[in-house]
Amino acid sequence: MSYVFDFPAVFEHTDALLAGTGRTLALTAIGAVIGIALGIVGAVCRAWRLAPFDRLFAVYVELIRNTPFLVQLFFIFFGLPAIGVQMNEWQAAILAVIINLGAYSTEIIRAGIEATPKGQIEAAQSLALNRLQTFRHVVLPPALLKVWPALCSQVVIVMLGTSVCSQIAAEELTFAANFIQSRNFRAFETYFIVTAIYFLLAIGIRQLMMQIGRRLIARRP
Amino acid sequence: MNDISTWDIVRNLFDGAVWTLALSLTAFVFGGLAGLAILFARIAKHALPRRLALGYIEIFQGTPLLMQLFIIFFGGSLIGLEISPWIAAAIGLTLFTSAYLAEIWRGCVEAIPKGQWEASASLALSRFEQMRHVILPQALRIAIAPTVGFSVQVVKGTAVASIIGFVELTKTGSMLANATYQPFLVFGFVALGYFALCYPLSAYARTLERNLHGARSH
Amino acid sequence: MALVRIDALHKHFGSNHVLKGIDLDIEEGQVIALIGRSGSGKSTLLRTINGLESFDEGCIEVDGERIHPHETDLRALRQKVGMVFQQFNLFPHLSAGQNVMLATRIVRKMPEAEARELAKAMLLKVGLQDKFDAFPDQLSGGQQQRVAIARALAMQPRVLLCDEITSALDPELVNEVLAVVKDLAAEGMTLIMVTHEMRFAREVGDKLVFMYQGRVHETGDPRDVFANPQTPELAAFIGAIQ
Repeated sequence: MSYVFDFPAVFEHTDALLAGTGRTLALTAIGAVIGIALGIVGAVCRAWRLAPFDRLFAVYVELIRNTPFLVQLFFIFFGLPAIGVQMNEWQAAILAVIINLGAYSTEIIRAGIEATPKGQIEAAQSLALNRLQTFRHVVLPPALLKVWPALCSQVVIVMLGTSVCSQIAAEELTFAANFIQSRNFRAFETYFIVTAIYFLLAIGIRQLMMQIGRRLIARRP
Repeated sequence: MNDISTWDIVRNLFDGAVWTLALSLTAFVFGGLAGLAILFARIAKHALPRRLALGYIEIFQGTPLLMQLFIIFFGGSLIGLEISPWIAAAIGLTLFTSAYLAEIWRGCVEAIPKGQWEASASLALSRFEQMRHVILPQALRIAIAPTVGFSVQVVKGTAVASIIGFVELTKTGSMLANATYQPFLVFGFVALGYFALCYPLSAYARTLERNLHGARSH
Repeated sequence: MALVRIDALHKHFGSNHVLKGIDLDIEEGQVIALIGRSGSGKSTLLRTINGLESFDEGCIEVDGERIHPHETDLRALRQKVGMVFQQFNLFPHLSAGQNVMLATRIVRKMPEAEARELAKAMLLKVGLQDKFDAFPDQLSGGQQQRVAIARALAMQPRVLLCDEITSALDPELVNEVLAVVKDLAAEGMTLIMVTHEMRFAREVGDKLVFMYQGRVHETGDPRDVFANPQTPELAAFIGAIQ
């Protein structure tokens, strides 16, 4: 049994790989932007104890963090239509990513907000900033900056997790891999290459997000 | 199809959950042992084992678990091994778990003040003795909470094994949803099943963490 | 008419009666040195003057802006009262210049360019005109505290509160901050300082207020009071710190 590797067989489907990569990235980007925004809202509700939203977010966070993404995806895609909420595979995938990342971001950002030194808030108050201005200009930016590495990690985890969206036929990178190996019968080579692409995406996304954090939040050169 | 009662659904899901639990425990135990070995490599004196361990960790943390399972599954058949979904899932999740635990534990070891290394070195302890008698006992204390916390990720990770055909809770759920045409109910129960497995672990990890921080601040 | 009027002020922390009826009038341009042992209520008193602490009875009036117990909207008061903290409390994500501009831009709604000019002028005043773009972690403690002073001054307060502003500084950095405060005093800024720098209080202060167990125990001209304390508690306090 001498197996001859045939990696070029994978690259005959470069267009499928590129399309899948693009969709995985788009799914991650949309999910990250809206998910983190949702996380900020959730974190504020939790940190400020805004009833009843603080309780709702607490339940939401626990439900999401204690169930697998795949099950959340199946529940949204297969389960919700049964009670009349119809959506296509992309809508379901995007919704699942947002809901999943939103829960993790809520917890991560809340920790950042609650770690704000009391003196920072007092300084803002003494400058006559109101509560919202204090939050927007004094509390949130350093809190986000502090937890940004954790948020980056979470976005990478979510990006890698979108791999299972292939199971509802969302044509992202893993779906492309499944398609390619069904054509070239080179499963190992195909999954190997696609795994390498995911690895590069993970590195790239982390780098990009760290840059964004530095530029947008810290406004440092 | 209507002859499958809600009770049948729950009973079947329970059987699936047993396999989820079995896979989780297997991955956690073997992943923990492998993780310990990788931890030692990761904090070794020599650069080579450190780099190798770092590479291992980065690869497993930087690629999808699903891809890891596919590669093990299809890679096995390349070298002539017929790997069952159970074996592939167990190997995949063990490797995945070992990488994360090694990294979590490294953080705990590095949280031990440098003075502890210096003090124990000044008492002429070897590096292994330093680890064994001074560093690890202290690191262990702070490692328990994040380790329990990570066990939740392992349980959730086992769901991905359903995709390579391992019949656990999620796979059982998919089959039942197809058979009953009641996906809302079935996946609701599946989610509840995972929640029942994971929430106690999450809550326990949180309690441990709180106790540790409470103990530290006094 | 006094610039700051404090009338029969009482405050409790739970069962602890920390301010037991404070009456204090401060004229425009005066430099007040608040001294006393820790726990005497001096910091609490200072913090009530811009609403960082609530109070239970009495009233505080600054430049015609009156506040009563448990009032929550204190922004009008705070626009008249600046505060400098022991721990500087600069905003770590903003440069020195942005720290100074923040409140003028978003509270006073000053246009960006104007706020920037004002911030530059304020940094010049504290001798840090070349540090506009430096971030707090790139500045020494003394420089950070001077930026904090510039930040408070940018709001053009009628009175500046200083809460042990040199206590967190290394000894060699204390003087650069005190020099800035001295300049402010010379310009006629009304200052209320909680301080342990007795020499500075004697040199720059117009009025010394000694607090003891939640009351104003003794007041007077710093030079007289130090030379000639009227109460045994103040005499003991002066003896202990010298």
